[in-house]
Amino acid sequence: MKSEDGDFKELIDLSDFYILSQKYEEAIKILKRAERIKKVEPKLYYNLGIAYEALNELDDARDSFRLALKLDPDFKSAQEHLEKLISE
Amino acid sequence: MKQFVVIGLGRFGSNIARALSEKNFEVLAIDRDEEKVKQMEGIVSQAVQLDATDERSLKELGIQEFDTAIVSMGEHVEDSIMITLTLKELGIKQVIVKSKSDLHSKILKKVGADRIVFPERQMAERLAESLASPKIFDFIELSNTYGIVEMVAPKKLLNKTLAELKLREKYGVSVIAIKRKVPYSKTDGTTDFKEEVVIGPGGSDDLISGDILILLGRNEDLNKIKKL
Repeated sequence: MKSEDGDFKELIDLSDFYILSQKYEEAIKILKRAERIKKVEPKLYYNLGIAYEALNELDDARDSFRLALKLDPDFKSAQEHLEKLISE
Repeated sequence: MKQFVVIGLGRFGSNIARALSEKNFEVLAIDRDEEKVKQMEGIVSQAVQLDATDERSLKELGIQEFDTAIVSMGEHVEDSIMITLTLKELGIKQVIVKSKSDLHSKILKKVGADRIVFPERQMAERLAESLASPKIFDFIELSNTYGIVEMVAPKKLLNKTLAELKLREKYGVSVIAIKRKVPYSKTDGTTDFKEEVVIGPGGSDDLISGDILILLGRNEDLNKIKKL
């Protein structure tokens, strides 16, 4: 039987795949499932931010990048995206 | 190369002077405040402390040789009018002036300003438009009839080619460009995207989720497509 961590990692990997395939809505669905398993993972919120930003859902994108940075204040890519979204 | 003179180095003036310098234009920046002039040194070609209401000083500086002047004295209405008048009398071809109010604009027109800008109002109107409809990023009115809109591609139009969509026939608008996010994997294992702009897309280009369209058309037609 797979551990919850294993399931979680698989979902994050799957969200990467969906983002790279430009299927952003699917990526968001998967990430919401991952969130139910574990809420304290910066990469989850970073990917969520990327998917929302790609769909031009900018308020949700900002919130997601903020959450990623709360969990990892040194997350450079999240910082860059948030700065860009705030100044837009 | 075009030469610009920027008079008044407040927020707007200093930003325009900086932006023009970054585009490698020759910029002469003028203000009567020494501190503001100092801040522009090394950024623009030349920064000079001077009272621009003094016609003789402007002449001595050779201001008449410049193609375009930008007057940004928003708070000092009287000075901005006097300077505009002087610059036009000295024969500067294009004088662009920042206005503070409708009355100010009216007088500027009378004294010969070639273009009047109202940055606070224009910015406020654009912000209001984007807040009212978050899917509309920008709208530029080209005339009373025509405009350009930058908007998120409506769901109804996704996963079809432009040839299939027939936007010109059905809605009377032309797609000038498509802004698209292209995802990629970074070396640290995270995903990110680059923005690409497809200028003058062809019939075989399709629209995908997240695309931003730049459309040209009659304002009434653009309004229809905005509501999709």
